Amino acid sequence: MPELKVKGVTIVETFAEAFPMVGTRVIITAPTLEWAMISARTMTGFATSVIACGAEAGIERTLSKKETPDGRPGVAVLLFTMDADKLQKQLRNRVGQCVLTSPGSACYAGLEGEKKLKLGASLRFFGDGWQMSKVIGGRRYWRIPVMGGEFVCEDKTGLTKKAVGGGNLLVLGKSHAAVLAACTRAVKAMSEMPDVITPFPGGIVRSGSKVGSQYKGQIASTNDAYCPGLKGAVKSALPLNIEAVLEIVIDGLTADAIHAAMHAGIHAIAKGGAREGVTHITAGNYGGNLGPHHFHLKEIVG
Amino acid sequence: MSALTFELKHTPDQRLDLSPLVPARLDGLSRKEIEALAVNTTRTKLTVGEAFKIKGKDAENIRFEGTDERCDKIGAGLAGGAIVVEGDAGMLLGAKMKRGKIGVTGSTGVLTGASMAGGEIAVRRNVGDRAGAAAFGETMGMKGGFISIGGDAGALLGERLRRGLIMVGGTAGDYAGARMIAGTLLLKQGAGRYAGYGNRRGSLIFLEKPRNILPTYSDCGVMEFDYLRLLETWLRDQGLRIRFGARARRLMGDMAVLGKGEMLILA
Repeated sequence: MPELKVKGVTIVETFAEAFPMVGTRVIITAPTLEWAMISARTMTGFATSVIACGAEAGIERTLSKKETPDGRPGVAVLLFTMDADKLQKQLRNRVGQCVLTSPGSACYAGLEGEKKLKLGASLRFFGDGWQMSKVIGGRRYWRIPVMGGEFVCEDKTGLTKKAVGGGNLLVLGKSHAAVLAACTRAVKAMSEMPDVITPFPGGIVRSGSKVGSQYKGQIASTNDAYCPGLKGAVKSALPLNIEAVLEIVIDGLTADAIHAAMHAGIHAIAKGGAREGVTHITAGNYGGNLGPHHFHLKEIVG
Repeated sequence: MSALTFELKHTPDQRLDLSPLVPARLDGLSRKEIEALAVNTTRTKLTVGEAFKIKGKDAENIRFEGTDERCDKIGAGLAGGAIVVEGDAGMLLGAKMKRGKIGVTGSTGVLTGASMAGGEIAVRRNVGDRAGAAAFGETMGMKGGFISIGGDAGALLGERLRRGLIMVGGTAGDYAGARMIAGTLLLKQGAGRYAGYGNRRGSLIFLEKPRNILPTYSDCGVMEFDYLRLLETWLRDQGLRIRFGARARRLMGDMAVLGKGEMLILA
């Protein structure tokens, strides 16, 4: 079979294995876009992986004054976990500690969803009896008196069980600089896609993991097959000329959204061509038995 | 399909109960069956066919033409669909309605939208007393939805209001928002005396400084309310040309009762 190449970059015939997650979207507004971003960044901080952060979260996009319920600039945030109870807890804690506390912020539902998550419905108790409920156009909002004025927070937001986590791309190249430049471009391209986030720092993971370890109690450890420094010592997946591998992990509200984001990502990576120093684009999987969602790179490129 | 239209033939010699003329009741009825429905309120029987000239077919869109202040209960208990009234309407227009829309080009009588639970009523001119208040036998007033009044409102506007929004383009009478449980009154040109008397958790929003404020409201000073931005944005999304900003003086009351209600006076 001929090798599939895009601008000289080899697309390895494999697939990304992804898992079902539950997800939600909230909209944060503030007096300025800058302050909405500060609030959103704080809320989505320390949310790279469910392994130890409890949730995966990120900023989906910014919203103009015309797109928000209160006519102020805003930011759409996506939050994912493995089940609805955890999502509820993460949402309450993150909005309670990072949005409620942020000057001038307000928080609204961003998803209709088949089920609902409590938002203001639990945060209202911060009002200690002085909170006020207001129904506008069939939607309930809570006004919670705070030192900065009033925190307006919608009662509930939607939840989707059709979310998918762990869509990924692995980028191999002949220099760290080349791989980083290509991945940065890909994250930027994906950030413009709807319904997806890339939860890792700047969207990129430099320490992909495998399941298990030689140490007791360590549930995940370095993906030695992709460590360039171990090429001669382990059963490596890397050709000898590879100097760096970076990964982009994608979470989305639907499998289709991840498919579209991976498509945009692959083409953004390959934009520099083989000349830039990127040699392969591949993906991580566990043999296909763990996750029900398989994103075959060959189909995605097409 | 054109709207099912009822044109009043002549001024009736009794008040009419038009509550049967709602989509849920008329859907699937033939012209003859509709004409045979009784609308009398005295012992003298009066049918739809005797009082109205009927045109059109679409029972989801009902029109009344040439009606006057004796045509009561138009759209009462409405559970969906749209009603347009070209003319005036009597009492209990849209009372206890749940969903749907009623538009009136003229004025309406007392108890407009009384104890309604949802949907929308738009009256271009004036409404009588007790709009959005408690209907006969009810313990609570309006429980949801939106009433917009282009002109003036009578006394006891939104009395015992539980939820929902009433907007008045003109002035409201005495006791606006009296004994409000919750909900919102948006008063563009103020109200008479005793506004918010016995208000528990409701909001009275004044776009102009009211002349009379009950002494049982205590001043909380001026600040910005994102809630007002939210309300303004929603109203503008409904196609209403309104702008009131976010800075308002807040007075909490009625301190003679629970005291968790408020007056927001746009600054």
